[in-house]
Amino acid sequence: MGQLVINGLALGSIYALVALGLLLIFNTVQIVNFAQGQLLMLGAFIGISSAVTHELPVAIAWIITMVAMAFVGIVFMVLVYFPLRRRPPFLVILTTIAMGIVLENLTLIIWGPLPVSMPSPVHGAPLRFSGVVISMHQIFIFVTLAVILLLQFLLLTKTRFGILMQATAQDLHTARLVGIPVNRTIAVAFALGAMLSGVAGLLVAPIFLAEPTMGGSLGLKGFVVSVIGGFGNLPGAVIGGLFLGLIETFGARYISSNFRDAYAFIVMIAVLVAWPRGLFGEKSSEKV
Amino acid sequence: MKTSRLKTRIALALFAIAVLTIPLAARDGYIIQLLNIAMLNAIVVLGLNFATGWTGQINFGQAAFYGLGAYTTAIATKAGLPWISTPFLAVAVVVAASLVLGLPTLRLRTYYLAMTTIGFGEIVRLIIVHWEPVTGGTSGLRAIPGISLFGFGPQGQIQHYYVLIAVLAVAVLVAVRIRHSALGRAMIATKDSEIAAEQSGVDTTRTKLLAFIIGAIYAGLAGCLYASSIRFISPDSFSGIQAVLLMTMLIVGGMGSIAGCIIGAAALTLLPEALRFLGQWYLVLYGLGVIVVIVLAPGGLASIASTIRLRLAGAR
Repeated sequence: MGQLVINGLALGSIYALVALGLLLIFNTVQIVNFAQGQLLMLGAFIGISSAVTHELPVAIAWIITMVAMAFVGIVFMVLVYFPLRRRPPFLVILTTIAMGIVLENLTLIIWGPLPVSMPSPVHGAPLRFSGVVISMHQIFIFVTLAVILLLQFLLLTKTRFGILMQATAQDLHTARLVGIPVNRTIAVAFALGAMLSGVAGLLVAPIFLAEPTMGGSLGLKGFVVSVIGGFGNLPGAVIGGLFLGLIETFGARYISSNFRDAYAFIVMIAVLVAWPRGLFGEKSSEKV
Repeated sequence: MKTSRLKTRIALALFAIAVLTIPLAARDGYIIQLLNIAMLNAIVVLGLNFATGWTGQINFGQAAFYGLGAYTTAIATKAGLPWISTPFLAVAVVVAASLVLGLPTLRLRTYYLAMTTIGFGEIVRLIIVHWEPVTGGTSGLRAIPGISLFGFGPQGQIQHYYVLIAVLAVAVLVAVRIRHSALGRAMIATKDSEIAAEQSGVDTTRTKLLAFIIGAIYAGLAGCLYASSIRFISPDSFSGIQAVLLMTMLIVGGMGSIAGCIIGAAALTLLPEALRFLGQWYLVLYGLGVIVVIVLAPGGLASIASTIRLRLAGAR
């Protein structure tokens, strides 16, 4: 029981990280990135390439992955969002899906279809409390989530950049009129969003193996979390993520593991029917 | 004006003759089989066009409705029910499913609706994969009984080709009629602005639900014909990837255009076979191609012809 709670929370932390990456982009351009899972997968593979294939220290592999993902995020924004910035958001959903297909198949071509593993940056014997085992990697996941949550909270509420992001999200044209470097703000948001999914990828790879098709399902879980928590809602994303991790772990144990991936959607549809804007409400409302 | 109308009619007649004589020219069973699948996909995409192209609601559940129609038909005929009952059963199942999905969710906004329909598709797929005694699981169902209507049963791919052409023609005619009815105008109004449509007395929730249900019926009937003409079904044909593929057929062909639906379905069904030598690179190019079409030709391939005509007219 206690073990299931720990495992569920660890899984949920990863979902929360995916949702936090989506949130950064959503809070700036009001766009939902349907390729977030594929960015996560790419992050995991860049990490594996550095740490396993080129045998670099894991910490260096993390740094390389972060730099590469920032670059990927900006290229992604230029290809997928920028040409469509004045067109209906519906179209951007489709271009992000198309880019997800491109990333997944490029990864298949470069790295092949076989699942690969990546070492964790932390070592040491697992902690034990009355039968419950917590691995060092799980602790590392919890700490990472807490640190990122704190940093993102400070970024969004206490820094100049956070205010620029909010202004861009509220009204792109007025933001530009008052002299906000809108394009630069958006590029940074995409870079940070991609880096966050890279972190999630680096955290997932040591637990589950990394394979090119892993992105689809993890990306969808990130959206489910965003929907449950309310798009753009910071505490909502974290609570929603942990909640979903617990539901999946307990559902797989006590109901049926075959339908593991269905619980997320059942919970999401139930939440939407009862609260059309998510449990914790949406950050911004529809513009007329 | 009159001559242009005549020209359109002549073009349509030539197109019809070409389509009807294809099986005489291409006796290759594989090509006919592909064309049959292209026509089935065209019917499903025409259905998707009601909700997405005309009413402006994202629907990634269309592949699941397609699958529900196919599995209902396969299970019913394999259980010994007469074929004539299967279109009705398929429609009953998809209408029930689209009500269950549509009633609570069609009030939702863009990405919420996209997510819920993706979730619905995933749930349907998981049920098909894991309900093995009935659905055959991942290996699917084989030797599904064929179409049989009052003693008439098309044999071989060429006969099925003509049956499917007839059904596709009816599907197009029904779509044209609906487009020019009050419901069709309500759909366009809903897409353009829900608030303005509501102010003009359009019940947008009802319109969205109807568009959704009509689309599901198209998919359900196409699924029924898929099962009884291809006679083998597996969950892969109706997965989330298929739902994205159907959506891209609509976009690449031209959202809101009936000709676009058919062009898109034909192009994206035949292209992967023609470009098979590209292997994995095909999907990379496919993704990039979709982005290019969305960015450069928002009206899809169907609009390119009229854009060129406009350019030429402007130059004259």
